[in-house]
Amino acid sequence: MEGLWTTQVGSLPKPPALAKARTDFARGRLSHEELVALERKYTEFWVDFQNELGLDIVVDSEMYRGDMATFFAETMAGMEISGLVRSYGNRYYRKPIAVGPLKRVKSFTLDWWQFAQSLTDRPVKGMITGPYTMAEWSYNNYYDTQEEFVLAMAEVLHEEVVDLEKAGAQYIQVDEPAVSTRPEDLPLAIRAMAVVVDGIEATTGTHICYGDFEAIYPKMLEIPVDVIDLEMANSDFDLLDLFSSRAPFTKKLAMGVVDVHSHVIEDKEQVKAGIYKGLQVVPADRLYIDPDCGLKTRTVDEAQAKLAVIVEAVGEVRQELGLDNA
Amino acid sequence: MISTVPGNYPKIANRPGGQTLRRAISSFDRGRITADELAAAADEVTVEVIGEQERAGIDVITDGQIRWQDPVTYIAGSLKGYEIGGLIRYFDTNTFYRQPEATARVAWQEPILVRDYAFACQHASKPVKPVVTGPYTIAKLSLLGVYTDLKTLVLDTAQALNQEMKALAATDAPLIQVDEPAIVWHRYKDDWGLFQEAMDVLMDGVGTTTLLRTDFGDAVGLPDFFALPFQGFGLDMVHGKQNAALVPEFPDDRDLMLGIIDARNVRMESEDAVLGTAQWVTQHVPKNRLAISPNTGLEFLPRETAYDKLENMVRAVKKAQEAVA
Repeated sequence: MEGLWTTQVGSLPKPPALAKARTDFARGRLSHEELVALERKYTEFWVDFQNELGLDIVVDSEMYRGDMATFFAETMAGMEISGLVRSYGNRYYRKPIAVGPLKRVKSFTLDWWQFAQSLTDRPVKGMITGPYTMAEWSYNNYYDTQEEFVLAMAEVLHEEVVDLEKAGAQYIQVDEPAVSTRPEDLPLAIRAMAVVVDGIEATTGTHICYGDFEAIYPKMLEIPVDVIDLEMANSDFDLLDLFSSRAPFTKKLAMGVVDVHSHVIEDKEQVKAGIYKGLQVVPADRLYIDPDCGLKTRTVDEAQAKLAVIVEAVGEVRQELGLDNA
Repeated sequence: MISTVPGNYPKIANRPGGQTLRRAISSFDRGRITADELAAAADEVTVEVIGEQERAGIDVITDGQIRWQDPVTYIAGSLKGYEIGGLIRYFDTNTFYRQPEATARVAWQEPILVRDYAFACQHASKPVKPVVTGPYTIAKLSLLGVYTDLKTLVLDTAQALNQEMKALAATDAPLIQVDEPAIVWHRYKDDWGLFQEAMDVLMDGVGTTTLLRTDFGDAVGLPDFFALPFQGFGLDMVHGKQNAALVPEFPDDRDLMLGIIDARNVRMESEDAVLGTAQWVTQHVPKNRLAISPNTGLEFLPRETAYDKLENMVRAVKKAQEAVA
């Protein structure tokens, strides 16, 4: 039997040279070509790293993205970007605004996916931010209702997913971290996801985090994707109890086994213990193992160490279970 | 009919030179400026945002809560007993607060807002209202820690903030506003009995005009809401649409602060819509008891949009005043 595939949620840290280049570009001190050259350089760096480490499903590492909503909004007709808004403490971001009918004018991620896939034989996951989250994290100055806004966004993102599949993506992840903020909107998020993945045969997934899962489980299993990716390590795997006590987890599960908000590198035995907890609820052939969330807030060294411990722990558990991954 | 604001105002502007406070906090975090210098920067921005509210034509303003990191920790962190912990989402917004935890018995130590209020008054030409986050919201959004039940934590916090209310009342503030969003949050309404008890403790012996403001939900299903011991009530008419059903039964001898401007979206309200609502509400509430306001704090908007929304609201309120005169 095959199982326990290793993957990643999405982002990886931007090395200091790239972070500085982004600031220089914003201040007009660096050309767009120079910035893109660096983004490609570090994409290659991360794909090579994942490749050598032996991750089963690789990500493009999002070197070219700032904020996960703003990146898509910037490249879409009908969206503008606001002035600065505070999220907490001294952290500010520019929030997208719907100002007209949404339309995809060019692909958002396809060129980066193709570039990353050209660097490795392992499958690279296509990754976009989902329609509910895009709308939830934007202002709406155009559509009459939030529902219309979300569904229009879903149509735009569907085009991207179709292109990713045509290009050969075997895995496509549509992130919906906002889904757990307002449980009463879950039916809308489910409808919107159905629009995004309509007719797609690739393995589809979604990542959800920070939430009130008590309020959306098991209804959340109706999101029409194959894999649901959840953070587990930072809450001591208590979501698994919810699955075993309330309703069985019927999809494939991508389970976060390292905390992305902690500098501490998890110990291999600790990660293995987490994997075994997951196996009590979901069998190995439906289980993917990854970090809790994108690793972009960690340093390069920390991110590499956290991924390495995952791969090492999974390798041992596979052996202990006699799994025979191709 | 007057215009007012709920509480917080965006801390930074997008124009050049508009990021004084952000830079100061960043310098302070790196040890490049002292706490006094940081406090001076906060004062400077406070004066700025008082000026902006006055220029927009707001009748009763706040200090903009420029020193507040979030709606919970500025008050909780100044009480004895609460320790400030990790980040957690603030209701269903895309903003976060640091969650307090009660690590010892909660008690009041010294005035929290009196100095801020006096400073704002010195720099304002319009009346200023101090705003206190209420005991139920603080306790409900915190971790119980050493407490074994919510009720004791809420009532201890109410007892502590009763001292703060008295300290503010002694400053001759014309109005003290208490914010209690948590009680109208749909999942917390079961705590209504506890909330009523807490408000009695909070208001015991506070002899001044006070207003209880709520946002993020409606007060439907909270019996005798307007019998709580306050002179006025603030309702969110955008995220608490059901609140409209409460307006016809609003008591004659209480003041109503009606949050009808959407402070969580950039879309400008039409003057006609504001005018229509104002005309409707004056059929039920005497106009001299009515204040029009954004539905929630203005920090969900970029600074320039917040200002435009206030100007727009003031224009509409003036028209409504003429229309119902």
